[in-house]
Amino acid sequence: MEVIRNFPDSELVENLKSGQRMDESIKAIYRSHFESLCWYVMNNSGSRQDAEDIFQEVVVNFIDMVQKDKFRGESTIKTFLFSLNRYTWLNELKRRGRAMVREEKYERGQERVEMDTSHFIDDREGRSEVLRIVGELGETCRKILLLFYYENMSMKEILDVTDYETEQVVRNKKYKCLKQLEQMIMEKPFLKETLKNLLHG
Amino acid sequence: MDNSTHNGPERLVQYLDGELQGSDKEKMEQQLAVDAFLKQQYESLLLTRESVHYFGLKEKVAGLHSQMMKELATPVVKLKPARRMLRYVASVAAAILLVAGLFFAYTFFTLSSDKVYSANYKRFELSTTRDGGVGETASEKAYRAGNYKEVVRIHDADEDHTPKGEFLCGVAALELNDNGKAIKCFNEVLDANKNTTEKILNDEAEYYLSLSYIRNKEYDKALSLINKIKDDKEHVYHEKVSVKLLRQVKMLTWR
Repeated sequence: MEVIRNFPDSELVENLKSGQRMDESIKAIYRSHFESLCWYVMNNSGSRQDAEDIFQEVVVNFIDMVQKDKFRGESTIKTFLFSLNRYTWLNELKRRGRAMVREEKYERGQERVEMDTSHFIDDREGRSEVLRIVGELGETCRKILLLFYYENMSMKEILDVTDYETEQVVRNKKYKCLKQLEQMIMEKPFLKETLKNLLHG
Repeated sequence: MDNSTHNGPERLVQYLDGELQGSDKEKMEQQLAVDAFLKQQYESLLLTRESVHYFGLKEKVAGLHSQMMKELATPVVKLKPARRMLRYVASVAAAILLVAGLFFAYTFFTLSSDKVYSANYKRFELSTTRDGGVGETASEKAYRAGNYKEVVRIHDADEDHTPKGEFLCGVAALELNDNGKAIKCFNEVLDANKNTTEKILNDEAEYYLSLSYIRNKEYDKALSLINKIKDDKEHVYHEKVSVKLLRQVKMLTWR
């Protein structure tokens, strides 16, 4: 049976940064904040599905910011997520061309708070495109790159979970896959800016 | 690139992966510092690695997302406009209540008997006599001169136990911060007036006695007198007893 637990903000941030107890920490974020953030979207012209999608995007961006030290704990996680959620949702409404004037006015009032994070989550379309391109990479390549660069597994560990014969074969394959992905990305110059924003904030 | 970067792309990836050590690593860093093309290649690899990381993170969250959506499947209620308006009104009302509550708490915890006393006490002034004070008693003269110890001494020496003498003794005792003495003197005035038709300084004694009780922290007795004065429209001090004073004394009884 899964033990459900909450983490204090500081411990949660530490877990997300270090990658330790990642699943538990992400679940804790969902349990603590999904309902109120979902409520906001659903009461501002959104559907349940919109709320779920936006929340998922918010969580991804939040973790990414934490891992890049962009979240310095100057506000609580709750406040920060609420701000990201509102900004992302208003952004989506604008994209759909039916942003509410009232919310825009409210948003202007919050401008100072959100300017600190907005540049980090702007360019949602660019990010979607990045995801799409990595998704288009062959499954084998994607798996090797993810194991190495996201899961931080060594070549030996990757060898154990794949069918390759030697570490060198895995290494060569990983190199080819990386170069292949690099080429796919560089074919779309506008993605460089998106990735630079992701990398440097 | 010079010859040292033969197999450059592979070496660069090794550097990206943190696999170059010692002099190899240093050499690569030196080359990156001077070779703009190599640096550009390296940045391109950094961005590519970033795309993998972002995709991995997205996948990680997506995997848990569907699981959590099942767990958190309880529908979130969408407010209708009328309910939303009601909610705003309730929020405003709650804010007002909160402010009022904070104000009440502040008032309650900062309220003291001395504060209430000071806000309501004013030294009793003797009326001016046309004969230049020739007909005044020793107590009155001492009181007018602000010699409160002398007023009390005269009283205690049994030289002036008239209602006026008792009353001045009470006020003088208040000026000397002797609450017990003041209470005793004012009660003497009220006792003396009980059996007479001409009530001398009776209203004044009641008011100052109530203040004496407040300062002596005998709030129930003070409240009883204050209510009596407030209920009596003919009382000389009826106007002096405000709703605020009543409320403050009641609050003091709760502490």
